[in-house]
Amino acid sequence: MPSTDAAPLTPLALSEDLPPATVMPIWTPEGPMALWRSVGGTLSLAADRCPHRGMRLSHGFVRGEALSCIYHGWSYDQGGRCLRIPAHPDLEPPASIRVATGSVLEAGGVIWRARADDPSLPPDFPGFVPLRSLSFAVSRDVISRTLGGESAGPGILKGTLAGSAVILLCAEQAEGTSLIHLLAPADATLDQRIAVSRAAETLRRAAETGTTEAAA
Amino acid sequence: MTIGAMRDEWYPVGLRSKVDANGQQTLLMGEPIRLHESEGGEIVVETADGRRLPVVIGHGHVWTSLGQPDKPLFAIPEADQPGRRLVEVGVVRVRCSPLRAVENFLDIAHFPFVHTDILGAEPHTEVERYEVEIREHEDEVWATKVKFYQPQAAKSAAGGITTDYMYRVPAPTCSVLYKTCPARPGEWDVITLFVQPLTEELCDVWPWMALYDDVTPMTDLIHFQQMIFLQDRSILENQIPRRLPLDPGMEIPTRADLTSVAYRRWLKRHNYTYGAQLVAQ
Amino acid sequence: MKLYDYILSPSCYKVRLLAALLGIPLELRAVDFHPGGEHRTPALLALNPAGSIPILEDDDLRLTESAAMLVYLASLKSSDWLGRDTAAEAARTEQWLSFAQRLTASLGGARLCEMLLRPGDLAALQAAGIAALRELEAALVEQRLRGERFLVADRPTIADIACFPYVALAPDGSVSLDPYPSIRLWLRAVRALPGFIEMPGIHRLHELKPEPVHGAEGEPA
Ligand SMILES: N[C@H](CCC(=O)N[C@@H](CS)C(=O)NCC(=O)O)C(=O)O
Ligand code: FES
Ligand SMILES: [Fe+2]
Repeated sequence: MPSTDAAPLTPLALSEDLPPATVMPIWTPEGPMALWRSVGGTLSLAADRCPHRGMRLSHGFVRGEALSCIYHGWSYDQGGRCLRIPAHPDLEPPASIRVATGSVLEAGGVIWRARADDPSLPPDFPGFVPLRSLSFAVSRDVISRTLGGESAGPGILKGTLAGSAVILLCAEQAEGTSLIHLLAPADATLDQRIAVSRAAETLRRAAETGTTEAAA
Repeated sequence: MTIGAMRDEWYPVGLRSKVDANGQQTLLMGEPIRLHESEGGEIVVETADGRRLPVVIGHGHVWTSLGQPDKPLFAIPEADQPGRRLVEVGVVRVRCSPLRAVENFLDIAHFPFVHTDILGAEPHTEVERYEVEIREHEDEVWATKVKFYQPQAAKSAAGGITTDYMYRVPAPTCSVLYKTCPARPGEWDVITLFVQPLTEELCDVWPWMALYDDVTPMTDLIHFQQMIFLQDRSILENQIPRRLPLDPGMEIPTRADLTSVAYRRWLKRHNYTYGAQLVAQ
Repeated sequence: MKLYDYILSPSCYKVRLLAALLGIPLELRAVDFHPGGEHRTPALLALNPAGSIPILEDDDLRLTESAAMLVYLASLKSSDWLGRDTAAEAARTEQWLSFAQRLTASLGGARLCEMLLRPGDLAALQAAGIAALRELEAALVEQRLRGERFLVADRPTIADIACFPYVALAPDGSVSLDPYPSIRLWLRAVRALPGFIEMPGIHRLHELKPEPVHGAEGEPA
């Protein structure tokens, strides 16, 4: 199967939400993907569909440097190649058994969907650190309007929540929903961070109910 | 959507013991149906517009069809042997294709990962060669000489044993398995999965068993089987695509999957495609 | 100690799980909840007129609320699990024990509709379940900011056990857990506890066991 590298840089998840030896489901315009980090810390992105019987690989488990499927335990390396078929322990899996993969980049605590043929680096946001990701049941435009902030590049919004400057990285998801990665000032205190997180909930309620009451 | 050749098959739609005069509503291949017990104790199944459907009672369940079955409900002679306890496990709804539900039932390679420490455990993951055939006379898929190491093969099993299995597909959404009976060496326990197709991507599953076990309380037997099937349910609801691909290029089988390969081939040959994915996606 | 139990009941599982984590043996009495409806038979109603399970009996103590059972087990064995170190911690633990009842009603209700064909307003139950998951996610984000992995502290308490089962089983009622990264890490932290036991629908963390080595008996991999 070919690699599915088509989209430009889009934010996928926050580094802190994916510690070593874990996997998480990701939605991308090409379909569902499994984002995983090996025990040694290497990040990989695989199609969320095991080539064997279609089980979602994001339900699987990470041992060492491989991602294993929960259904029959087939495991895959970071390049998508099948390493092991437990039903046939002595079989070297044929090289043709592969899961489609994609490229990712990690910078400033954010994991981005990258293009193998595109050397551009993800944007960096000096003075800001990731706070949390949350999904909204509305489109990016509605969020932007509700926040009342300004655009700072494709899918990037700047605004104010609970009196703190914030950056919102927006990724469109299935069925008109959006995934937001929220960045807060690096020097914000614990209380300020908690206040920003709560204000993001207020922003979401406002965006989803169509009110524009300022969350700031 | 075409129901195709599967229209004329028998499908389970309820436990006989639970259908009473008040009746119950359900769905069969997209069509709403109602079943109730008449004053004379007869089971009546009809569509919303009052069309009466054929009915047979067998293996603890009520069976019906939207079409005209030209053969009787398949028999399970072993289940009629005296001394067996018949276990009505009850219905479980699953968001998957009825064909995916049957295929999972035919599979042993998932035991160590999905039924861990019960029907399988690492490192005993190997699936040894077994035999698969489509029996032309009966027109059924059979797998025989299947063996697997199991930590707790049945409620009555005391410890790990290598279990022998035989699998049988007598109808497109039904499977019967025969496995080593811990309480009576030499006999086979009968465990079935009867699947009611509600739509192509939704089914009601009716597990049923005929066991030699005079010791275990009935409720424990029911719970053992519900435990096993509910471990499968979270797998079945997360396979992509939801429908069973019949295009051989779409999913990769190995030697351990010979039963599944034969099942898919048999479905295709008969145009049993309700719940199947025909074109690659 | 005797637990009237059902293998598919998340509320019964709470009690089995905490007992396993604390090393307290339970005598299990299986109740034919589905398809038999045994919890509504006269014999069971005599034990619990509310017609629900679990029911826990220990000598002359009989409990019919899982939250009370968790308090009882934790009190017998380890005050760490009680979540009552400070006034605020005690109050937050109570808050989550009450919140767990909302999970039972919403996510648990959706699960019964979707899985066991119980009549109900599925869309409304799912919406209430999603609202509860969002609250839980927000609370867990704050806990992580405070450097704490569990609901009321950096150690697990009965608050976690009370909320864990219905949340982990939300997909049984067709409520996705995909949008909640902090819930995902918290579920994982609970599943990684020493002595953790699973129930159907909650798979084991196979990664906690090393990959078996084949064809190399006694030799390093
Ligand atoms: N008393 C509550 C009851 C928990 C609960 O809802 N249990 C379900 C089984 S998971 C039940 O018995 N439901 C009764 C019914 O649905 O008829 C508790 O202990 O938390
Ligand atoms: S579906 Fe993934 S290993 Fe079988
Ligand atoms: Fe299974």
